[in-house]
Amino acid sequence: MKQHSSVIMKITFVLLTVTALFLSGCNSGNLPAASAAKTYRIGIIQLAEHPALDAATEGFQATLTEKLGDKVSFNLQNAQGEQTNCTTIVNKFVSDKVDLIMANATNAVKAAREATSKIPIVGTSVTDYVNSGLAASNAKPGANVTGASDNNPVSVQVELLQQLCPAVKTVGIVICSAEENSRIQADEAKTALEAAGYAVKIYTVADSNEIQTVVTKACGEVDAFYEPSDNLIASNVTTMSNITTAAGKPVICAEQSMCENGFLATYSISYYDLGCQAGKIAYDILVNGAKPASTPIFTFDASNLALFINKANAAELGIKIPETLK
Amino acid sequence: MQLLSLINSLPGAIAQGLIWGILALGVAVSYKILNYADLTVDGSLCTGGAVCAVCIAAGVNPYLALLFALLAGLLAGFVTGLLHTALGIPAILSGILSQLALYSINMRIMSKSNVTISRTQFTLILTSAEVRHAILVGTIAALAVIGLLFWFFGTELGYAIRATGNNEAMARAQGINTNTAKVIGLALSNGLVGFAGGLLAQYQGCSDINMGRGAIVIGLAAVVIGKAILGKRENLALRFSATVCGGIAYYIVLAIVIFAGLSTTDLKLFSAIIVACFLSVPFLKDKYLMLHPSKGGKPAC
Repeated sequence: MKQHSSVIMKITFVLLTVTALFLSGCNSGNLPAASAAKTYRIGIIQLAEHPALDAATEGFQATLTEKLGDKVSFNLQNAQGEQTNCTTIVNKFVSDKVDLIMANATNAVKAAREATSKIPIVGTSVTDYVNSGLAASNAKPGANVTGASDNNPVSVQVELLQQLCPAVKTVGIVICSAEENSRIQADEAKTALEAAGYAVKIYTVADSNEIQTVVTKACGEVDAFYEPSDNLIASNVTTMSNITTAAGKPVICAEQSMCENGFLATYSISYYDLGCQAGKIAYDILVNGAKPASTPIFTFDASNLALFINKANAAELGIKIPETLK
Repeated sequence: MQLLSLINSLPGAIAQGLIWGILALGVAVSYKILNYADLTVDGSLCTGGAVCAVCIAAGVNPYLALLFALLAGLLAGFVTGLLHTALGIPAILSGILSQLALYSINMRIMSKSNVTISRTQFTLILTSAEVRHAILVGTIAALAVIGLLFWFFGTELGYAIRATGNNEAMARAQGINTNTAKVIGLALSNGLVGFAGGLLAQYQGCSDINMGRGAIVIGLAAVVIGKAILGKRENLALRFSATVCGGIAYYIVLAIVIFAGLSTTDLKLFSAIIVACFLSVPFLKDKYLMLHPSKGGKPAC
């Protein structure tokens, strides 16, 4: 009995010590922050984890950290591709009363816009704010959502296809059926490709398990592929490129990291720069009091694009890179 | 032209079917032998893939990585077994709980939603870029697994597991610890699923958090198609081989379905229809023969 009570005493002591330490830890963390100048708290929600989105988030954080130093704190959350996670994360940001939400990719921006009409939302990696119903117009978004668009002119990608693979007649586009953003890009690419005289076929996949079946079918029907910046395909580039390369079909894609992971070539925007642009917009809103409703959406033009060619993939496909592209 | 491209796509379907056939062997162990519809599979396939991909990315030998994938699957099945036997949670629910928990565990293993192991950077056992080689490796792996299962279910422990699945009350009356048998059976089943996940991750060049979604349907499809192919013969090795053939048949049917010109958005619907067809055909056949004894069936008695 005596032993028991001494054990209980010890446990109580340990618990009390831990609680005391925890409380003092909290205090030392909170007090100076509250007494110092205002810290901007920013909630970042990223839809999925792949190099392009990661780069945009990095660019955003780097820009704001450079401008605001330690007067900015980030709460970075990743939804791992799930819409339900987006809602949970955004609701947390809203109840935390963050000063600004940075939402990375279309579905993340949508979740944020549903959750709040007060907190300013800055988007990145969204292709078309207007068609996705996020803004009234690119010049005057009209609500609490503004940001930077990753839309880039498809015409330059078409020219790239013509230069690298002159014999191609039919082009396939594989997109995820759940991504509205990809559908917009695919339709845009279809128009541009058809205007250049190609036949175009659009294929959809529902999840990573279907990629092999659908791409194998597509390889039998097309001479080459164009891949927009679809999040599912961006995460599973190797799955697709293993099949297309074995079948001898080149893939022109919309974005640099997809090219590095196995596709042939692209004129790409830099997602890091895209994030930086979003960071500048966020700075204007936080510090200069700009209103999201009247802050125009940033869009890249052709002069911002850089050429990337996956030389290993070109060699496997037996494609000679013309002098003009070297 | 259409037919030619269909024929060109068949080797890919066979390679994919072989890997899913190994998964189906795992499903056969739980569903057919243990009489336990185990939904852990949707999570443990990804666990196997995740462990294998993370190991390979860290420079581990790809064969060793497959072994780790198998062990991770074993552990997942072990937990499901404990949930069911030690905590008395119903079979379906314990599988669903493990599957749910595995989502977070798989995220922890990969520390992101997708790990790429490109054939250009790592030596892999099989890859979808070299389908013929993949078919060879898949066949060897499937045969090895069938051989091991055939041997295992001939041992005393194997018989105990089979008896538990056939008639649990009778098995217990014979002095078999049916709880132990179930836990071992489920661990074995998910170990095979994890092994298949490891092969799949190498084959497609990455492991993805969603790669197991719907795996149980494909596994069940392979099991029931295999049974439909084989009819009523009972030899265990034949039944296992038929299950692997069922996996291949599933992917060939799927290839034919989409080459027939149906939209790829309908794939999930057709997966369900394929499984429903193969599940119902033996039943309807028996019913037809019962009503028409002159066609060779036996009258109901």
